[in-house]
Amino acid sequence: MNENEERLWKLLRDCNISVLPMAVASSTGAAVEVAQTLGHPVVMKLLSPDITHKSDVGGVILDLGSDKEVKDAYQGMMKSVKQHLPEARIEGVVLQKMAEPGLEVIVGAKLDPQFGHVIMFGLGGIFVEICSDVSFRVTPVDRDMAREMVLEIRGSPIIEGARGRESADLEAIIDVITALSSMLEKNPDITEIDINPLIVYSRGSVAVDARMLTK
Amino acid sequence: MLGNGFPGYVYPVNPKATDIFEQTCYPSVLDIPGPVDLAVIVVPISYALAVTEECAKKGVKGIIMVTAGFSEVGGEGKQLEEQLMGIVDRYGMRLIGPNTLGVVNAHAGMNASIISKLPTKGGISFITQSGTLGLALADWTMEMGIGLNIVVSTGNKANVDDVDLLEYLADDKQTDVIAMYIEGINHGREFMEMAKGISKPILAVKAGRTRSGSKAVFSHTGSLAGSDDVYSAAFKQAGIIRIENIDDLFDSALALSVQPAPAGNRVGIISNGGGASIIASDTCERLGLAIPGLEPGTRASIKELVPKFASYSNPVDTAGLASYETYNGIGKHMLRDPNIDALIVIYVHTVMWDSRIPANAIVDIHRGRCLKPVITCWLGGAGTEAGIDILKAGGLPNYPVPERAVKALASLVKHHGFLEKVKE
Repeated sequence: MNENEERLWKLLRDCNISVLPMAVASSTGAAVEVAQTLGHPVVMKLLSPDITHKSDVGGVILDLGSDKEVKDAYQGMMKSVKQHLPEARIEGVVLQKMAEPGLEVIVGAKLDPQFGHVIMFGLGGIFVEICSDVSFRVTPVDRDMAREMVLEIRGSPIIEGARGRESADLEAIIDVITALSSMLEKNPDITEIDINPLIVYSRGSVAVDARMLTK
Repeated sequence: MLGNGFPGYVYPVNPKATDIFEQTCYPSVLDIPGPVDLAVIVVPISYALAVTEECAKKGVKGIIMVTAGFSEVGGEGKQLEEQLMGIVDRYGMRLIGPNTLGVVNAHAGMNASIISKLPTKGGISFITQSGTLGLALADWTMEMGIGLNIVVSTGNKANVDDVDLLEYLADDKQTDVIAMYIEGINHGREFMEMAKGISKPILAVKAGRTRSGSKAVFSHTGSLAGSDDVYSAAFKQAGIIRIENIDDLFDSALALSVQPAPAGNRVGIISNGGGASIIASDTCERLGLAIPGLEPGTRASIKELVPKFASYSNPVDTAGLASYETYNGIGKHMLRDPNIDALIVIYVHTVMWDSRIPANAIVDIHRGRCLKPVITCWLGGAGTEAGIDILKAGGLPNYPVPERAVKALASLVKHHGFLEKVKE
C-alpha cells in the first residue's frame, strides 16, 4: 500500500469508522497465509501504483473460499496484469475479508474553493452513478444535519426498509458522516475522499473501499 | 442624484466644466468647500487612481467606483485594482465596486446609480452582482409597484463584499427582506455565518445552475459535487431561501416584505372558480404545502355563505359568488380555523362583477390582525386593476396567476422553517 492509502485507512480507523480487515501479500505463499488469517472467503485486489482501474485488467477477484482458490487467483492475476500492462509496477495484492451483503451507500467529501469541505451522501451502485441521488452539507455536520441529509435523498425509503427489506442502521450512517466531518476539520489537506461502498447492516456498518486525494 | 431630489449636498466635480445642471462644478474634489462623505467616481480608468487618492486626501470615507477596466479584464486591470485597494486600505476608506453600476437608497432619496429614477420606497433591499441585470430589475419593480429600499450593484467586490452588505442590511431599519442575485461568493464560510445570524428573510438567485462539467473523475464525490450543489447546501444551512429564477425572487420578496411567516405549511384556499383553485392546490402539493380539511364548525359557517352546490371544504369554491359578505365571511372563518396557517384568496374576474368588492372584503378582514399570512391572486387582466390597487394599498401581495401566489407563499413557509431551525 502506498503512503496515501495507509494514511487513509488509518484516518478512517482512528475516527472509529469500522473498516473491513485487510492485509498485503506479495507472493503466492503469503497470499494463502494472509487469507487464512483473515478467514475465508476473501477478496483479492491488485496493488500497483500505476493502475487505478483495477477491475479492467482483472485486478479484482471476489469470493475466494479456499487456499487453492487464493493460490490460483494470485497467479492468474499476476499473469493477466503482465499481459495487459507489461510496464506496470506490481507490489502484490491486498486481501480483504469478503463483506457480508448489506445496503451499499457512499459517503464522500470534497474541498470546495469557496465553502471548504462539503460532505456527500448517497446510495451506492446505480443510485449514485445513474440517478445522482445524493445530498450535500458543508462541514461541520452534526447528527441532526447528517440525519437530514440521509433522509432527503429520493431513495431514502430503501434505508428505512422499503418493500420487505430489512431496514439499514440509520444511526450507523450518521456516525460515519459525523466522524468524517470531524476528521476533515483536522485534515484540511484532503481535497477528495470517497468511502464507497460503505456497507450498512441492520446494526452497524463497514467501510469496504475508499480512496482519497490530497493537496 | 440631482434629478431625484437628494436632500444633502451634491458637488459635481469635472475639470472641464464650470457648472453642471446649474450647480457649481469643481475642478477637483479638493476644491470643494465643505466636507464630503461619499464620492461617486465615474472617470476614465487612467484617472481612477489619482482621483481616489484626491478623495482620500479630502477625507472622503466612502467610494462608489463605477469606473470599469479593473480585475474583470484581467492582466493590467488586476494590477490597477491592487493599487486601488492599496489607496483604500491606506486611508481606511470603504469602496463599492469597482465596475459597479451604483447604489440606490430609496428612503434616503439617494440615487447614485444609472437607474433613471428612484424606485418606489419599500422594504426590499437588493444586492446584485450583475450590474445591468440588477438595475434593469429595479426598473421592472417600479412598473410592478414593488417597493425597494437599497439596491447595490456589487461589481468586482474588491473591498465591500456580500458579507459586509448583509451585515449592513441586517441592521438597516428600512430593510425587511434581503434579495440577492449571486454569481459567486468569495468568502463562503463567513457568508454562511453572517446569513445564519440574520433573522430577516434572505432570498437568493444563484446563476449557473447547470452541473459544472467537472474534470475530476477521481472520486464520485468529486464528479457529483458541482459548485451549484454546494451553493444549494450552503444556502440551506445558512437559512437562505434559494429561488430558481428572477421573477420568483421578487414575487417571494414582495410576500415576505408585507406578510408574516406562517406557523406551518397548512394552506386554506378560497376561490370563486374551480379551475384556479385546482391549479393552486396542485402547486401547493408540488411545493410541499398541505391543503388540510377544515374544522366541522368552520365548514358549517361557510355552508351558510355559499350556494348549495358550492364546495364548503378546503379548497372553498364559492361557485361564482364574489360578494363582500361571501369573501369577507369565508376569509374570517378560515383564518380562525386552527388547521389553517395561511390563506390564498383567488378571485377570477368576470365582466359582470366589480373586482373591488372581494378586494375590500379581504382587506377588511386582514386589517389590524395579521398573524396568519394572506396571499391574493386576482385573475383576469382588464378590470382587475381597481381591485388589485385596493389589495396593494391594504398590504396584500397579489399575483396574476395561482402558481406564482403559491410559490411566494412557499418562500414564507421556508423562512418560518429556517427561523425555527437555522437562525440563531
